[in-house]
Amino acid sequence: MEDYKEAYAAWQKEVKEQLKKRPERKDTFRTGSRLDVERAYFPEEIDNAYIEKLGFPGRYPYTRGIRSTMYRGQLWTMRQYAGFGSAKETNERFRYLLDQGQTGLSVAFDLPTQIGYDSDDAMSLGEVGKVGVAIDSLEDMELLFDQISLGDVSTSMTINAPAAVLLAMYIAVAEKQGVPPEKIRGTIQNDILKEYIARGTYIYPPKPSMKLITDIFEFCSREAPAFNTISISGYHIREAGSTAVQELAFTLANAAAYVEAAMEAGLDVDEFAPRLAFFFNGHNDFFEETAKFRAARRMWAKMMRERFGAKKEKSEQLRFHTQVAGSTLTAQQPENNVVRVALQAMAAVLGGTQSLHTNAKDEALSLPTEDSARIALRTQQIIAHETGVTNTIDPLGGSYFIEELTDRLEEEAFRYIERIDEMGGAVQAVESQYMQREIHRAAYDAQKRLEKEEDIVVGVNKFQAGEEQAPDLMAVDDAFVKEQLHRLKTLRERRDSEKVEAVLEELKAAAENGENMMDVIVKAVKVYATVGEICHTLRNVFGEYTS
Amino acid sequence: MERIRVLIAKPGLDGHDRGALVISQALRDAGMEVIYTGLRQSAEQIVRAAVQEDVDVIGLSSLSGAHNVLFPAVVKQLKEEEAEDILVIGGGVIPVYDIARLEEAGVEKIFTPGTPTGLIASYIEESVKARRGEETRLFQKPRGVDHIGIAVTSIDEAASFYRSHFQLDIQDVVEVPEQGVRVAFLPLGSVTLELLEPLGENSPVQKFIDKKGPGLHHLAIAVEDLQDRLTQMKRSGVQLIDEEPKTGAQGHPIAFLHPKSTHGSLLELVERKDESADGHV
Repeated sequence: MEDYKEAYAAWQKEVKEQLKKRPERKDTFRTGSRLDVERAYFPEEIDNAYIEKLGFPGRYPYTRGIRSTMYRGQLWTMRQYAGFGSAKETNERFRYLLDQGQTGLSVAFDLPTQIGYDSDDAMSLGEVGKVGVAIDSLEDMELLFDQISLGDVSTSMTINAPAAVLLAMYIAVAEKQGVPPEKIRGTIQNDILKEYIARGTYIYPPKPSMKLITDIFEFCSREAPAFNTISISGYHIREAGSTAVQELAFTLANAAAYVEAAMEAGLDVDEFAPRLAFFFNGHNDFFEETAKFRAARRMWAKMMRERFGAKKEKSEQLRFHTQVAGSTLTAQQPENNVVRVALQAMAAVLGGTQSLHTNAKDEALSLPTEDSARIALRTQQIIAHETGVTNTIDPLGGSYFIEELTDRLEEEAFRYIERIDEMGGAVQAVESQYMQREIHRAAYDAQKRLEKEEDIVVGVNKFQAGEEQAPDLMAVDDAFVKEQLHRLKTLRERRDSEKVEAVLEELKAAAENGENMMDVIVKAVKVYATVGEICHTLRNVFGEYTS
Repeated sequence: MERIRVLIAKPGLDGHDRGALVISQALRDAGMEVIYTGLRQSAEQIVRAAVQEDVDVIGLSSLSGAHNVLFPAVVKQLKEEEAEDILVIGGGVIPVYDIARLEEAGVEKIFTPGTPTGLIASYIEESVKARRGEETRLFQKPRGVDHIGIAVTSIDEAASFYRSHFQLDIQDVVEVPEQGVRVAFLPLGSVTLELLEPLGENSPVQKFIDKKGPGLHHLAIAVEDLQDRLTQMKRSGVQLIDEEPKTGAQGHPIAFLHPKSTHGSLLELVERKDESADGHV
């Protein structure tokens, strides 16, 4: 155990180096009454327990944050998830958000794209462009990023089963813009285990799905080293009704399964681990949420160092995106959601998130309008620039309550992870429906507490308003579906179908022979093979998962 | 009655099944037989399963915005299979302006987020009973007013008013210490007036008088099947003071509803086992 003086000196040194690279946002940080605010605050008597449990910012076990200067140096990325209808419409919304000061893009795809069906597939009936943008081929992807320089933005894509296909398309668009793969930044969600557990956009059975994921790890460490290859997501687990403990435990158990699969595939842990990202939910219980993020960092650091033998600091640092909890938004009195979102976002900021999506108030009713999307973004900007919580690192660190909660969450979550390990790991726990059952039980308990009024939801089971106003809602115009189908049809006629067939044959062979499929998928998208065609080729080899 | 059978289905590609699973469990707890289809079901698959399983109700859930296409497709398929006697209901993220459209298309009822599961259970029960042609006894009107409770500071003083000016006599006086009240009964036509005098400082009637002064206290409605009514009301989200019937001053099962749920009036339900002479024995 390193002693306090050494640890403190090491942190000071890191801060110095960091300041050379990136000065802090201001020379001095002050409160409203002009009192100086220090970079971080520490207990008066430092002992080994402090070093062991909290440590200094940017240092193991990262409880207080993964950066030595945290938000004094750089605010989190404000990343609003958007996408609906056609690529052209979504492109317009993206450019609007960038103009409004958003600092990263986040693409929502429609369900057919997420499950590997083209817009003209019978399975896509009614779903095209509904929950996100419809992408069939590279042509759509080119429209989606029209006039947006992929060398300058970072893009997060909520895509899982067909993640390889959409990543390949992103690389192809970037190349057309003259941006080489090593320069692209962003994240693909690519977290299939939580799809079986909570979100439902799986295609293939777990084993070949895990193979696709490790193929992407290998490909990216070689070709696109700045791209986050996976965003291991507790968000949807929580939305499905889990507790905070379950969210922590199941996410980290899934993460362990990916690390193990990659190591078994022969990858070096320090090669791919720095590109693993996480995605958590920002829920209602304010202090528990802040403690959850702190516990997650400490748990991951320990797992990487002690269990997987990671050597690089970057491998131990848990970087995460937060989205506030969609399931806590109420259809009743939707204005109240603005307040809920602000509080949930605040907990995530106090927990040290790297990027944040704040929900729009009308998302329990439909897709957000431009107005409500703007208020959601403004909420983050208010927290960042008006409240002063970004002036010092980990402002809640050292609170008796927060530290106790952080310890308790870690303890309880590790207990779950042990149980999952005894079952043989997360893949087995998913296949036996263990996690699904645990989540469902928690969800049903929560519903019962709500109906017994043990839990209060303002406007729903208490303080109901007399009259409900009909809010302005965003409706997706279905007219574009016809156009989408038409464009897809002409594309199929226009492209070189012999080349498409040849590369799909090649993909089939790669899948059957256990080769890296990613290289072939990049070739396939470049000759305008569609998402559906590529996924069907793999379906024919791997089969489909049914729950 | 025969157990109600329900098929909960996820049409289309939407993978959000928290709601579908919670509703399935709640309907099971309400005594129904529930089959859950799992994700990604076509209209044909859903109707086939519904017919095979001989269900009374299909509950559709979609949170992806595809409901306008997918829900009517199930209704249409039911018609083709001549299984229109199966009731179709739905829920999910469904904007208000779509609800009328869906109900026109033959979806019986749309439940939006925040609906208590008990309300859905009792809606299904009543609708299925109606469809089966079973007597929906709970929907029959109550028999009438049983009595009117009036809070008074002194039974003797109040009774003398009713005697002098309305020639009403006290039929009986009962003390109910567990409710902190002394009650005098004054029959008036088919109704009884109950004069309620507080026993001690902590009596609920004393608190009522402190807050609002003496006067009309509660209205008691005569019902049959008190327990069933309470169960149904509770499920529908009505706040009950007594979830189980208790014994009233005259020895009959009674229960109070909370004024919060009744728009301000304290209502009592009374079940009279003895049907003779309007029960005033």
